[in-house]
Amino acid sequence: MNAATTYNEAVRACFAEPAYAGDLQGSFDQTLTADVSESEGGAQVALAAGIQAGSIAEMAYRAWGCPHLIAALELACETLVNQPVQSLENFDSADITQNLAVPTEKTGRILLVEDALATLWAQVAGADT
Amino acid sequence: MSITPVYLDHAATTPIDPRVAEAMQVCLSPGGAFANPASIHIAGRESAALVENSRQHLARLLSTDPKNLIWTSGATESDNLAIMGAANFRAHRGKHLITMPTEHKAVTDTFAHLEKSGFEVTWLKPASDGLLAVDELESQIREDTQLVSVMHVNNETGVMQDIREIGEICRSRDVLFHTDAAQSVGKLPLDMSELPIDLLSLTAHKFHGPQGIGALYIADRPGCRVLPIMHGGGQERRLRPGSLPVHQIVGAGAAAEIAQDEMAEDLVHARALRDRLWQGISDVPGILRNGNADHSYPGILNVSVAGVEGESLMLGLEPVCAASGSACNSSSGESSYVLRALGRDDLLAQSAIRFSFGRTTTQQNVDVAIERYRWSVDHLRAIAPRNRQLT
Repeated sequence: MNAATTYNEAVRACFAEPAYAGDLQGSFDQTLTADVSESEGGAQVALAAGIQAGSIAEMAYRAWGCPHLIAALELACETLVNQPVQSLENFDSADITQNLAVPTEKTGRILLVEDALATLWAQVAGADT
Repeated sequence: MSITPVYLDHAATTPIDPRVAEAMQVCLSPGGAFANPASIHIAGRESAALVENSRQHLARLLSTDPKNLIWTSGATESDNLAIMGAANFRAHRGKHLITMPTEHKAVTDTFAHLEKSGFEVTWLKPASDGLLAVDELESQIREDTQLVSVMHVNNETGVMQDIREIGEICRSRDVLFHTDAAQSVGKLPLDMSELPIDLLSLTAHKFHGPQGIGALYIADRPGCRVLPIMHGGGQERRLRPGSLPVHQIVGAGAAAEIAQDEMAEDLVHARALRDRLWQGISDVPGILRNGNADHSYPGILNVSVAGVEGESLMLGLEPVCAASGSACNSSSGESSYVLRALGRDDLLAQSAIRFSFGRTTTQQNVDVAIERYRWSVDHLRAIAPRNRQLT
């Protein structure tokens, strides 16, 4: 087994029972959506956030990619729910990368999560201006 | 907590049969036959007798004379020795060689090496079901063609080529025919006394023998010779130098003997398991069977599925141990070059899972694989972006 396909317990748990996978369930002041992909046919992330009273009330994602990507989305959603909407700005995935022991060759996949979050924040920032 | 693996990766390697392990104890136990079989003293002669006894077992399995078998470290070395050795031996007659891009890397990389060394290689693509069009092969043979190499059973798809017909064409054109039979020796009947095969590679660990020991069959007929690719002692008719690993050879011989006795039963068992697995997953939407189902070794089932990412599919399969593409190549992260050569697109090739069965596989193992495969596909489809879901 090579490093790229070695998964720690955190990855396995997120993969087996993803709590945030799917679609938003509630109705919100503002709904943010992002759809980013690595390349045509490559890993893809569809991320959504429901904003209520300046807070991230709910997050949901859909993903096509490796277990590390799915787990990274889980942890990002878990971290951001119930946080101020400004938390979307400049989200740093370093902690997630460390917690999931993401191998170097897969860091590009994790950057997809940052890209998706930046896309969500751009919608907030665009609405403010 | 450790999880008991459900091992369905026998095309990668098989567990050593307990009877083989027991046979190897004659060398591995204290006071066992450890001596170098090239030594002429009593202990050496004891080892040499074991080596020759094993050669006889393997020869009986292949219906050939023991002197036609050269011990090697495995199929990769046998492939290298056969291809480079034969090409170099006949280079003065011509430098054109023929093979397929769907061969094992041990073959394709060796031909690629020869290409860089001044040989010309024709790469014959199979049809989308993996089968080689034999008339196409015949049309590509030229005056300067010296060697054709086509594997018997494909290690990824299980597709079986018609090695008799290919061999007959090669004989009629005075071209040597090599086949990589790593996936078929010990599993399918191979009678070298009547098959028109000049060079055949095999390895013991694919038929419940130990890893690290294989053999090359070299037909005893005019013009069929190889030049050594390694140099050293004069072992193995001066074709493969190096002290022989007696314990592994004893294991290979025992495995060959058992395979010969139990081959018919093993085949029935493998076919029943493969059919059970296919029956259990064939209704999964978007599933595709890779390779010609009517011309394949029953111990391998290779399937792709649309709309599912391959690496996640593999994790969802656990504790089932199967292969994503070729096990020897699976750490590369690239989609299977064999399946791409059959026309599968990158995504389908990447989603391919090869299940392979052996003597120790049970119906319960297969039922776990069915349950895990279905769960994994459903799970990943449920979380896939809408545009990636099957319509």
